[in-house]
Amino acid sequence: MAALVVRGVRDMLKRADFATVPRRHRHKKKWATTEPKFPATRLALQNFDMTYSVQFGDLWPSIRVSLLSEQKYGALVNNFAARDHVSAELEQLSARDFVKEAISHGEPEPENGQTAAPSPASWACSPNLQCFTFARGDVSCFPPARLGSLGVMDYYLMDAASLLPVLALGLQPGDTVLDLCAAPGGKTLALLQTSCCRKSEGWCLRQGRLPTSSCQGHTEYDELPGPGHLAANDLSTSRTGRLQKVLHSYVPQDIRDKNRVRVTSWDGRKWGELEGDTYDRVLVDVPCTTDRHSLHEEENNIFQRSRKKERQMLPMLQVQLLAAGLLATKPGGHVVYSTCSLSHLQNEYVVQGAIELLASQYSMEVQVEGLTHFRKLFMDTFSFFPSCQVGELVIPNLMANFGPMYFCKMCRMT
Amino acid sequence: MAVVGRQVFDWHRLIPLTWALVARRTPHLGEQKRTAAFLLRKLTTASSGGGLEDSSFAEPRKYVQEPECRTRLVQHLLEKQRTAVEREVTSPLLDMGFSEVHVNELLSIQPGTHPQQLLDIISELILLGLNPEPVYVALKRSPQLLKLPIMQMRKRSSYLRKLGLGEGKLKRVLHCCPEVFTMRQQDIDSIVRVLKEKCLFTVKQVAEILHRCPCVLREDPTALEYKFQYAYFRMGVKHADVVRTNFLQYSITKTRQRHVFLERLGRYQTPDKKGQTQIPNPLLKDILRVSEAEFLARTARSSAEEFEVFKKLLAREEEEASAGHVTGDESLEEDEEEEEDEEEEEDEEREL
Repeated sequence: MAALVVRGVRDMLKRADFATVPRRHRHKKKWATTEPKFPATRLALQNFDMTYSVQFGDLWPSIRVSLLSEQKYGALVNNFAARDHVSAELEQLSARDFVKEAISHGEPEPENGQTAAPSPASWACSPNLQCFTFARGDVSCFPPARLGSLGVMDYYLMDAASLLPVLALGLQPGDTVLDLCAAPGGKTLALLQTSCCRKSEGWCLRQGRLPTSSCQGHTEYDELPGPGHLAANDLSTSRTGRLQKVLHSYVPQDIRDKNRVRVTSWDGRKWGELEGDTYDRVLVDVPCTTDRHSLHEEENNIFQRSRKKERQMLPMLQVQLLAAGLLATKPGGHVVYSTCSLSHLQNEYVVQGAIELLASQYSMEVQVEGLTHFRKLFMDTFSFFPSCQVGELVIPNLMANFGPMYFCKMCRMT
Repeated sequence: MAVVGRQVFDWHRLIPLTWALVARRTPHLGEQKRTAAFLLRKLTTASSGGGLEDSSFAEPRKYVQEPECRTRLVQHLLEKQRTAVEREVTSPLLDMGFSEVHVNELLSIQPGTHPQQLLDIISELILLGLNPEPVYVALKRSPQLLKLPIMQMRKRSSYLRKLGLGEGKLKRVLHCCPEVFTMRQQDIDSIVRVLKEKCLFTVKQVAEILHRCPCVLREDPTALEYKFQYAYFRMGVKHADVVRTNFLQYSITKTRQRHVFLERLGRYQTPDKKGQTQIPNPLLKDILRVSEAEFLARTARSSAEEFEVFKKLLAREEEEASAGHVTGDESLEEDEEEEEDEEEEEDEEREL
C-alpha cells in the first residue's frame, strides 16, 4: 500500500510542472561528508592538457603553471570615492596605473614638430578608467578594499585583464550600454566608472519587468532606455543579487537612484526580440568554462561529470547570446564579446559562428574590428597570444599572471 | 731503490702495532680482526710494491721525493722540539703512515692533549678503516675530537661499525659531519630510528644513506621523515631510488620548488597506484643534482625569471597553508571578479 502511494506521488511530481532541482546542486561541499574520488578540478586539468597542448603547443607549459599558481590582481579605482586620494595610496604601494601608461604609450610622437593626427574614435579606449597593478614579476598583493569617506569602497580588486574588454568597447559620453551577462559585476562596475552613462531621462526600475516611465504614464512596452543608460542583465537571480551588492558598495545612492542603471534577470538570448536595435555599445561577457576558476574550485565546477552535457552545449549558448547582443545593437553600434576561457571553440568559433548565423538568418552584416593597435598599447602589462584568428587573447604567464581573457570587437554595419 | 726499501721496512713495523691494539680489546674482536685483516691486505699489496699509488702513501711518498738534505734538516729540527712522551708517540704514528709534517701538526693541534690520548684517538680512527690523510684532515678541522674520552670514542666507534660505517665508509661521514663522534648518542639513535622504523629502510639502506648523505645526522628527525614522505608519496620515489639518488641530502625547499614547478608545467607526474605515468618523468638527477641553470634549460625548459616568481608564489602558498586558517583568497574574495556561469548558492562567507 505504502509503495503504491509513494509511486503515485512520484508520478504526480513528474507530471507536474515543477522545476526539478538541477543536478548540479546535488553535491554540496558543505553537506557532503566525503570528497569526490576524482575531483572535477582534476577532470578540468585533464581536459585542458588534452586540448590546449595541441592548441598552444610549446606555450602550454608556461600557461599551465600560471593557471595553477596564484593569480595577479588589479585594483580598479572607484571614481565615486575620493579618487585622487585612492590613486595616491596605490602609487605608494609601488603599483602603477596600467591604463594611463598604455594610453600615453599609444600617443603618436609628433613628426618634424607637427602634431599627429587625432586617433580615430572607433578604437579609443573607454575613458576615466584607472586600474593599478604591480610591476611584472612583482608578486605583492593589494590590501583588501576599504570603505572610504564617501560611504563607498575605494577600489575593486579584479583580474586586470577583465578590464580590457571594457576598454576595448570604447564607450563615449551619452552612450546607451547593455551588459548582457553582467554578474558578478566587475565589468559592469567598470562600465559605470567611465561615467559615460550620465544623462538620465527618468525611467523607472522595476525588478523583473520592462521599464516604464515614472512620470509620463506611457504604456509598458513603449519606453526604451534613453541615452546614457546602463542595462545590466544576468539570467541567474542569485548572481544579479551579487551584482546589486557590488553596485551598492561602490556606487553612491544618488547615482543609482537616478535610474541610470537597470538590473534585470531575464534570458539574454531573447534580447533581440526584447530590445532590438537599441544600444550603442553592448558587452557580451558570456558564461564559459572559466578555466582558471575550474582548476581551483570544486563546488559547482562545470567539469563535473553531471554537467558534461551543459558544458558541451556551451558554444551553442554562447553563439545565441552573441547573436542576441548584436541584434540588440543599433546599426553602427559596437559589440565586444569576451570569455575567460582559452578554448578556440568558445572564442573564435563562436564569433565566426554568430556572424555567419546573423548573415544567413537576418541578413545582418557584422564586421570584426581589428584590435592590433589596442593590443600594442597593453603589451607591457599583459601577455597576448600572437596567433588569434579574430580578437585578442590574454594568456597567463608567471610574470603577468592575468587572464585568460579573450575579447573580440565587432561593429554592426546594417 | 733504497727509498722503496725503507718504505717496506716501515710497513712491516706496523703489523705488530696493529695486533697490539687489537689485543687490547676483547669484545668485537671479530670485527677488529676483519679491520686488521683489511689493513694487512693493504700492507701486503704495499710490500709487494703494487700499491704505491694508494692515497695513503701519497703524502709520505711526496715528502720523500723532496731533496734528501732538506728532509734531514727538517727532521732534525723537529725532533729537537719534541718531548720524550711525544717521541714515544711519534714513531707509531709514522708507522701508521703519517708524514713527519703531519705528525708534528697533529701533536700541536691541541697542545693540552696528552700524546697518548692523541695516539688512542687516532688509532681508533685508523681501525675504523680510515687512511692517515683523512684522519689528519678530520682532526685538523675538528680538533675537539681529541678531547673525547677514549671510552666514549670506542663506544661510538663500535656503534658506527654496527651501523655499517666501518671499513673506510667513515671518511665521507667524518668529512661532512665531524660531529658524528661528539654528538649525543640519542640524537644519532633518533635519526636511525626514523630511517628504520618510520621510513622502513633496511639496515643496509640505512648504512648506505648515512654513508652517502651524512648530513642527515644533523637534521631534525621529523623534518627528515617529512622529506622521505615527500619523496615516497608525493613524488612516487621508491626506497631504493631515495638511497641511490641521495635524495635526503637536498633541502626540502629546493626539492619542493623544483618538483612542484615541474609538476605544474606538466613535466612531472606522480605515478599512480601501479607506478605508471602518462608522460616519462625526468630522471631525479636531472631534477635535483643539476645546477639551477641546467635544471631550467634542460629539465624544466623555462626561464629563470619565471622560476624566481614561482618560488615566491610557492613560498606564499606554503605560508598560507601552514597558517592553517581560512583560504588565502578570503580577504580578496569579496572583491574578486569571479567569472562564473553556473547557478550558485551564496556561501555566507562570500557575502560582500
